Amino acid sequence: MGSFAWMRVLESSAERYDRGIRWLSRGRMDEVYRDVAEAATSGRAAARVLDIGCGTGGLTLACAARGARVVGIDRNAGMLAVARAKPLPAGARGTVRWLELGAAEIEDAFVPGSFDAVVACLAFSEMTDDEQGYVLEVARTRLVAGGRLILADEVRPRQAWQRAWHAVRRWPVAGLAYLLTQTGTRPVEGLPERVRHAGFVEVREERRWGDAFAIVYSRAPAATGLGAVPPEAARP
Amino acid sequence: MSRLGAFLQDVGDTLLRMVPHRAPTGLVPVGRPGRDAPVLVTGNYTLTVRRLRRALAGHDVWLLCADSRGINVWCASGGGHFTHHDVIAAMRSSRLEQRVDHREVVLPQLCATGVERRRIEEATGFLARWGPARLEDLPAFLARGRRVVQRERVMRFPLGERLEMAAAWGWVLLAIALGLAWGLVGAAAAVAVGVAVVTAVAGLYAAVPRAHLAGRGRWAVFAGFAALGAALGSVTLVLGQATGVAGLLSVVAAPFAVVALLGLDFEGTTPWYASALAEVGRAEVELVEDRCSGAAACVQVCPRGVLAMDGRRRKVRIAEPGACIRCAACIVQCPEDALRFRFDDGRVAEATTIRRTRLNMLGKRTVELRKREE
Repeated sequence: MGSFAWMRVLESSAERYDRGIRWLSRGRMDEVYRDVAEAATSGRAAARVLDIGCGTGGLTLACAARGARVVGIDRNAGMLAVARAKPLPAGARGTVRWLELGAAEIEDAFVPGSFDAVVACLAFSEMTDDEQGYVLEVARTRLVAGGRLILADEVRPRQAWQRAWHAVRRWPVAGLAYLLTQTGTRPVEGLPERVRHAGFVEVREERRWGDAFAIVYSRAPAATGLGAVPPEAARP
Repeated sequence: MSRLGAFLQDVGDTLLRMVPHRAPTGLVPVGRPGRDAPVLVTGNYTLTVRRLRRALAGHDVWLLCADSRGINVWCASGGGHFTHHDVIAAMRSSRLEQRVDHREVVLPQLCATGVERRRIEEATGFLARWGPARLEDLPAFLARGRRVVQRERVMRFPLGERLEMAAAWGWVLLAIALGLAWGLVGAAAAVAVGVAVVTAVAGLYAAVPRAHLAGRGRWAVFAGFAALGAALGSVTLVLGQATGVAGLLSVVAAPFAVVALLGLDFEGTTPWYASALAEVGRAEVELVEDRCSGAAACVQVCPRGVLAMDGRRRKVRIAEPGACIRCAACIVQCPEDALRFRFDDGRVAEATTIRRTRLNMLGKRTVELRKREE
């Protein structure tokens, strides 16, 4: 994976996003969509899934292809327009609904216990630390007891040499993206800890691609999904 | 922080203002704000946050720094990097409703191109009020009981800020020009090119607001500054005893190239000029009178004083169409969708379309357009 900083360039033209992300990840982003969708839907027919920051809908449609009833939310109307134009995958048994909504606004649109799984790919690295904590807390209340939370995102490699190599590959792309779009992406930090603080259990992190990409799997507490951890105690 | 430290930070941020500088987000106290203190929303651009703190010295207020990706409010809103979603996220993740007793936030007027005021009110239950366009007017705004007067809505672009913009653009172009000239024609010519470039850029920014920049006249003004830069560069070159055809040519050519590059769209980098490259640059704001309810939301956000209330008819009117910079703030905020862009070929872009699109750095706004049906 070269760099997700390039995403910002791609987002400046939503139509180019899919092609670009496929090219950047050398086709491996589809694997992430597939693995996350599989974990979100396995063992539950017609699972209700929320995809936070769905962008052009790659992960949303992967979930629908596995029979889920998915809601894809994103704050970027241009990206959603591209997502809406995509047909459901052939043979998909699920359904898809698209909503222009920020991650911190899911409480406005969904009542507690609305979903069996909440997923997000390259969305939490877009949020401030406070927003991540807030969104995780609200997401937990919108999940059923034992519901799944699966987050995939760019992270900083753990080994010094891997971080250095990653930085060398990242900077030229990040610099160009800055010039073209005045912005860039940042790897998300401490996501598993933040997920735990928000009251999720069975938190497990899986690293990929030179240790620079992670999928974090977790569950809402089984006993009481709603209000199991008071918000004050959950703040990291 | 010492005054020198703050000054050096300001200089650094100014020279590097083309790249983001992220300040911490969240609710930040200025002075000793209590639970009734006003909440002023801003982006998380370091230079803005420092200047706000200075402008508000002696006041007790909360600054709510929302995530504008380290970009100033005007550019971030126009470019889609700062929207009502960011303000709502900042209000909720800072637990604002638990930290103040009132239910009101003040939005910076220059975010009106991308931050929909009504969406914040609907989502949070807070009243969102427009503040003045410029932060130095905030003390008077607060003293008046958080009320803006018309002159505070209209942008100014004073000499100091024009030179700041010149410095931000100029050093990058200077570095490129110096590097090229040094390699091609030697040190003396490079210095001459440097003088020419600095002169042309500074002159352009300092004096252009006094020139009328429509149509061909615009290019005449650019050519004038390029010629001025070239002339001064040539004098420097001759004084420096460095002659030769290549050297002279570079001195003459460099300012032209620089001003042409800068002139591509430097206007679009400020809340003062229209973007020359933007697709909407060929459009005019049009008022659909039947839809206008006289709410005057557009008048409150126009940074150029284009719109005015016609009190007798209780409708808005486009009073100064020539001053319009096509930022679309009025279109975005109108509760009745009564304003829209009309292109010279008859196509129109309605408010619902404009709200979905943002300008990119090249001033391109991809909009779906339709022919006017009537």
